[in-house]
Amino acid sequence: MKVRSVQHEMLPETTVDDRSRQAAVVSLRRLLNTQVRPRNVELYEREGRPAWERRHGRAPETAEEIRAAFFESRRYRFWSATHRAAQEMIWIAAGEPVFRDLERLEATAERLASSPERRGGLELAPAGYVPPGEVADVDIHLQPGGYAMTRSARDVACGALYENGGNVFAFGQGLGKADSKAGAVIRHLEGARPGLKPRRILDLGCSAGGAACHYAAYYPDAEVHAVDIGEAMLRYAHARAESLDVRVFFHQMNAADLRFRDGEFDLVVSHNLLHEIGRDNRRAMMREAFRVCEPGGLVVHQDVPTRFEPTPVRQVERAWDTRFNGEAHWSTYSGDDLLADMGAAGFPPEALEETRLDKVAGPGGWYLVLGRKPG
Amino acid sequence: MKAAEAIVTLASLTRGPRPFSFENREAEEVLNVALALLVELGVAFDRIDRLERLLAERTGISLDDLRATDYDGAAGAERQAARDALMARVLRIALDARVPSDGRG
Repeated sequence: MKVRSVQHEMLPETTVDDRSRQAAVVSLRRLLNTQVRPRNVELYEREGRPAWERRHGRAPETAEEIRAAFFESRRYRFWSATHRAAQEMIWIAAGEPVFRDLERLEATAERLASSPERRGGLELAPAGYVPPGEVADVDIHLQPGGYAMTRSARDVACGALYENGGNVFAFGQGLGKADSKAGAVIRHLEGARPGLKPRRILDLGCSAGGAACHYAAYYPDAEVHAVDIGEAMLRYAHARAESLDVRVFFHQMNAADLRFRDGEFDLVVSHNLLHEIGRDNRRAMMREAFRVCEPGGLVVHQDVPTRFEPTPVRQVERAWDTRFNGEAHWSTYSGDDLLADMGAAGFPPEALEETRLDKVAGPGGWYLVLGRKPG
Repeated sequence: MKAAEAIVTLASLTRGPRPFSFENREAEEVLNVALALLVELGVAFDRIDRLERLLAERTGISLDDLRATDYDGAAGAERQAARDALMARVLRIALDARVPSDGRG
């Protein structure tokens, strides 16, 4: 199943002008990403670092000093300011049609979720649940209100913003409409384990349900469960899945504190979750993924490829998102030993694999760490 | 919800600090306005393109001929006058006769 071009009833009505506006933001971001950002390290070497050295009488050493040296370059500052503005404009261009059409989207979600033909389900957290603040309190990727924003018992805005903003973002990165993180993982699993047929799949940190629906469509005999922290995000994800006629059971849960029994799943996945949560929650999430995986089952965490940046200067350049794009845990994710964390979660070293995946459609790749639970 | 209300709602939902990159924050705010106008210019160009294609289809005049249509004589002078007025409107601040002074003190 395609993730980015898929048509369903939870998409907002857009005018031709809306689509022009989104296309213009995509063009702007594509120009910045392909023509301007690639010069940043050269600008650092030619302008930023020499200026910092003149000011301090020595070379920058720490990540913080390298970061400050980047900002000595006037053209880097221009890129940074423009890139931030473009990221903000994603949410205006994608979000305006969402809020214009929100009443209809909410009514559609209600109809889909209560239909006798519904295939999946939505389980909200018990009373007293508080979503983890390190995710809920931050506008990750600058999405207005963040991933846990819930403004009423009918609200679906958070999920609609996530999907529509995500599409504008991805196309601006140069990714094609066939781009799919789940698709990249499935391709890898099929190559490494031909004939794999998971029966019960769990998607941790599922957001609007793009990957979970992909698994449900690809493995129609499997029962797919998906968790995330926000009610409105999940209400949207469930309605979207119903509209796509795939069976996914969504649960409002903290991935670091799951309400599932031990060994309930034979495939546990996460997509771009490792870099969105802090070290303690990430380690707890890895332990929980191990716990709910059955003996012989697989745990697969896919994420952004920033861990492969070869030099400290390039790492700092990539870490721009930490300060400017609501990515508080970007650097922790990039620098930590995730194989060791998987080992501490319970996987023996010989059951672990760490690799780089190609994207399904578009430049660049993904990071993947995989563990097979002994048994 | 109307378009303007949707945009104001989105702006009001944002949280956290807004880090600047320029040495002058006000200059960066103007950059943001300019970039938003760039996007709107893209929207307007798309709309002109659609109208040109529709006109070509309805009139039988080829798209190339439509786009190659240039004005001279009275129409050309009228267009030039409108262009001059546009420049004056946009660059009004450069034409202002008053001497700049610091209004903050």
